[in-house]
Parts: sequence; structure tokens; C-alpha cells
Amino acid sequence: MTTSSDTGLAIDARELRRNFGDLVAVDGVSLEIGRGQVFGLVGPDGAGKSTLIRMLTTVLAPTSGDALIFGKSVVTEPHDVKPRIGYMSQQFSLYGDLTVQENLDFFAELRGVTRADIKSRSERLLEFSGLTEFRKRQAQFLSGGMKQKLALAATLISEPDMLFLDEPTTGVDPVSRREFWRIISDLHRQGITVFVATPYMDEADRCDEIAFMTQGKIILRDTPSGMKRRVPGRVIEVVVSDYHEAMTVARALPFVNSVDASGDRLRILVDNETADCEECLRKAFAEAGFDVSQMHPSSTDLEMAFATLIPSAAPAGGFETTADEPVLGVAE
Amino acid sequence: MRRILAIARKDFLHIIRDKRMLGVILIMPLVQLFLYAYALSFDIKHLPTAVLDLDRTTYSRQYVDALQQSNYFDVNKRLVRFDDVDTAFLSNEAKVCVVVGRGFGHDVASGRAGAVQLLVDGSDANSAQLGQAYAGALSRIYGGRILVNQFEAKGFNVASAAGLTSSIRTWYNPEGRSAYYFVPGLIVVLVTMVTTIQTANTLVKEKENGTYEQLIVSPIRRIELMLGKIMPWALIGALDIIIIATIGLVVFRIPFRGSALLLALSSLLYVLCTLGLGLIVSARASSVDTANQLAALISFLPTFMLSGFVFPISNLPVFLQFVSYLYPARYFMSIVRIIFLKGGSFGVLWPNIAALAIFATVIIVAAAALYRERA
Repeated sequence: MTTSSDTGLAIDARELRRNFGDLVAVDGVSLEIGRGQVFGLVGPDGAGKSTLIRMLTTVLAPTSGDALIFGKSVVTEPHDVKPRIGYMSQQFSLYGDLTVQENLDFFAELRGVTRADIKSRSERLLEFSGLTEFRKRQAQFLSGGMKQKLALAATLISEPDMLFLDEPTTGVDPVSRREFWRIISDLHRQGITVFVATPYMDEADRCDEIAFMTQGKIILRDTPSGMKRRVPGRVIEVVVSDYHEAMTVARALPFVNSVDASGDRLRILVDNETADCEECLRKAFAEAGFDVSQMHPSSTDLEMAFATLIPSAAPAGGFETTADEPVLGVAE
Repeated sequence: MRRILAIARKDFLHIIRDKRMLGVILIMPLVQLFLYAYALSFDIKHLPTAVLDLDRTTYSRQYVDALQQSNYFDVNKRLVRFDDVDTAFLSNEAKVCVVVGRGFGHDVASGRAGAVQLLVDGSDANSAQLGQAYAGALSRIYGGRILVNQFEAKGFNVASAAGLTSSIRTWYNPEGRSAYYFVPGLIVVLVTMVTTIQTANTLVKEKENGTYEQLIVSPIRRIELMLGKIMPWALIGALDIIIIATIGLVVFRIPFRGSALLLALSSLLYVLCTLGLGLIVSARASSVDTANQLAALISFLPTFMLSGFVFPISNLPVFLQFVSYLYPARYFMSIVRIIFLKGGSFGVLWPNIAALAIFATVIIVAAAALYRERA
């Protein structure tokens, strides 16, 4: 179905707002997203990411404002929005007592997929997600990663034009996470628009564009590399004995803007004005009694972008990195 | 239609995969049936009875023997003084005390009315009521027999004497067996409870499991969701009715005098009402626990109290009689009793059936309207 509005935006949100009693969960978000993008929504817990997604997917009614999904209002035309979108909520949302195949069949029937299509699509999706041999297993007995892949498969069986994923890989092992993103890349190539909320920086890095959300507002939007370029200063990577204690030392220096630990190395963001940062760091560590075995310049990463660009975001604890995989900025 | 069937099939799978649930819907009604049918028996026989015979004549002994022989009274205590009555009631040795006054034999012999005092333990309302009624009846019969004896002794032909006689016969349940009205009544009570409580759970469970949001984002209409949720439970309700009715017929030997088709039709309508009520609870309740309690409250109490199951509706306070019209159990109760015990054609039953049809429609539309399309 191609209507004139089909050539426009995938998402056109205007001043979306949602209150829960006195709490303002989403505080006037306006957002335009083009078709075919993988758009990442990043922010600390409680920033309002899930509430925003639930409004965009017609699950939750906005307190005020509206959003058009492929030109259709989530407030007044939800029945025109629903057939075109797929939504994977943060909570596992399949029926644990039904088998893999029964879950797929149910969601396909619910969304009006023809019987012939159900058969061919579910075979393909099961193959795609590596679940073929588990098709007769009850969903509650799948591993975390398999559950998420099944949830994605159930969302995809109606072949939606737009996918909303709310922290789809939280609690999933690194291998499954990588596989999951491989699937998303494939979908992206097929032209599906993907809107994904994630707490993981490496996942945000894979998006075409990302938005920082905090306290119910979107405060910044850019490409991942654009975000990194916005970070004022440069990064020095240091391998030091007892990096945990050394962090405190580095933080005390006036030219240091932020310090992150990545594996056993410190990533220290220093300002551009101070020329001899390396020397000062060496001196400070030596005086405090720490051995510096390596020190070299590095590039900024999204982690830093969040720490420095979001004013109120707490650098420690607010965001999660994966211990199992290097943060992408490091590897470059 | 496909979406309705998809929901129905899925919910049916939930039911048959949950062994505990199967127990609740198939075994529990049986346990309750036997429990209620035996424990709630209103057949009163062998009421423990104490006798204070102050007269001690042939006539007074004849009267007490008549009581004893009726099988309704067990005269197991002879009292000497009037104060003993209190002791007999307090120690629960007697529910009924019969005091035959001094001069009873003399009065009867001389053609005057003999005075008998009947004391009933009012703390046990059922026994009290029945004891009173039985003893009253026996006294009248005994009194009548004495009269006849006296008239015959004086040479009257009693058969030719014109007088008022009333003969009471109980139709449909001549032996007054309580299973006759309890088992059909229990069908109503048990089916109400199973269907209301279980459907009250279904939507709330989806909310707690997070699957509700998936239903919301799918293009299903509210009424489709409601109908899909109702279907498997309507089947199970029907199964429960068949099981209880069969046991009633086979074990409790209750009669079935009406049309099975009419019973099926009215059962279907009634189950739609109770399922709709369950869905209303489910659409609004915040948790499974709340849903369970609310459903138990709206299903158990009104069906027990306001349907005529235990208390005849005409004995209820006027206000509650009006309330009973607002609850579908009353109509189904009267349909079920008529079909089992009296027979009764559509011509007799249609006002009740029509009432159920109206309730079913209103309740299901209300359930669909109350169910929120958004979280």
C-alpha cells in the first residue's frame, strides 16, 4: 500500500508529553525520523525511553501532543498505525507455556498473516534466528538470548515496516547480542526502519543516528561519529598499576574532564588548552606511586560523549558497558 | 473471525497445559458438589427431643408415642421439672422440648382441647423452623384422630359430617428430598464460580506477563479479544454443567423432566453472562489477587444469597429482592430447577431465557467497552 504520505517521514513526533501523576515521564519530545534508518535512543534508566516508545507504538496514550507514524496519528488513527509496526517490549512478552512454533503462529494469526505465508515466513525466521531445532520447545524453557530472538521473530512475522525495540538485548549474552544485531543489520538492508532504545554504547554506535534522552527530554541528536566529535578535548589512554586507585588521582587534576576505566586501562579525557597533559599525568601518577606501563593518545567514544554532553547524567552507574566486549571506541 | 479463533486457541492451550488449573475447573466442582450436597442437607429427621410430661395419663403417653413414631423426633430425654428444659437446650441434648400440660388427658377425655406447649431451640434456625412445623402438624393430626374417636364413640358418622379438610401434597418433590433442589442449584453456583473467577484472571495475567502490550499493538478489536477469551471458558463451563448434572442424575438420583436443549441454550446464555462479568473484573483489576477476590465476591455471594439457592427470594428483604433482579443467577436458577424438577416448555421458560439473553448482551458489550485499548 503506497499512499502520498508514504513518501514522508517514518516518525514525526510533535511535543509528545506523558505524565504519571506528578511525574513528567516524557516532557515534550519532538522528533523526525526518516525511513530506513536505524535510530538509537540512549539515556539513563528513568530517562523516559520506554514511555516514549510506548506512546509511539499506541500502547500508551500521550497526555498531550501527537506523533505520526508513516503519516498516521497514534492518537486518532491507532488502527492504521498498528498493522505497520512491530514492538518488542523490554519485558519478555511471549507466552511461556506455548511452544516456539505456537507463539509464532499466534502472533501471525493475530496480525492476519495468511496461512501459506505463516508457514514460509516462520521457517525462514526460525532458520534466521537459529531456533529451528527448538520449535517444539515451550518458550519458558529457552535461554535468555533465544527468548529475545523468538520475540524478535514473533514481531517480524507480520513483516512490519517499522520496528520498535526497547532494550532488546538486556540480559543477553554477548554472542547472542552480536547475532541479534546481525539480524537488525539485515532488516536495515531490507529497508525496515528500526527505532531502538539501548543502554549499551557499542549498540548505539551501530545506529545511523542517535538521540540522547534524559529527564524526559531529548537533548541532543547526531550520528555516532558526530556525537564523538562534539566531545571537547582529547583522550589519553593509560595502562597503570591499580587503575582503580589511579582514577582518583587523575580525577583530581584540573585539566582532566572525565576518567573511565575500560578493562585494565584508564581513558582520560583532557582539555585542549593544556599542552603538556601527558607529562603532567606521568608526574602525578609517579608522585602517587603508580607505575605507568603504557600511555598513548586515543579517540573519543560515545561513553565519553554521554559523560560530558549530558549535564545531569551520572558518569558512574547511569550507563552500562559490556565487560565482555571492548567498547568500540577503544578498538579503533 | 480468525483473530477471535487465534485468541481462543491460545487460551485453550493455556488451560490444558496448566495441570493445577485443570484440577480447579474439573475436580473442584465435584468436591464441592459432594461437600455441599451432603453437608448442606436440609432433610431434618430424628430431631433430638425432650419431653416433659406433667400429665402422665394414657392420652399424654399416646401423644408422645405419636411424636416418636413419626421418625422426625427422637424422644431421648424425659424431663421432670420445667427448669430442666433450659439444661437440655444448653447441653444440646434437645432441639425441641414438648411439654404436655397437667390436665391434658382430662381435657381430651372430656372433649375439650388438650394443651401442649412446644419449645424450640431458636439458635439453630433450620431445626427450629422444621421442628415447629412438624410438631404443629403432628399435634393437629393427633388432635383430629382424638376427635374422630370421640365422635365415633358418641355414634356420629364422621364420614357424613360436612367440614373443612385441607390436604397438603408436595408436587415435584413429594419426599421433600433436599438433593432435588440442591443439586440443580449447585450447578448454578459452581458454574458461576468457575467461569467468573477464571476469566477474571485471564486479562490480568496477560498484563502481568507483559503480553497484554503485544495484544494492544496488534490490530485486534476489543470485542474480538473478548469473544476469543470467552470461547474456551464457555466450553469448560458446559463441560462442568454436564459433569455435575450427570452426577446429580446418577448418584443423587435427581429427576430430569425437561428439555436438554433448553437447558443447553439457557446454560450458554448464562455462562456468557458470568464470563462477561469475569472479563469486566479482569479489564479493571490491577493484579491477579485483586481479580480473584473481586470475582469471588461478585460470583459467590450473590449466587448463594440472591438466586433463591438457599433462601427463597420471596423471603428476602424487599430491597434485596430488587437487587436480585439485577443479577442473572436468579433467572438461571429458576430455569434449572424448572427443567430438572418440573419439566417446563419454552412457553413457560421464555421470560427467564429472554432475561438471560439481555444480560449476556449488555455484560459483554460493557466488558469490551471497559477494557482499555491502551495500558
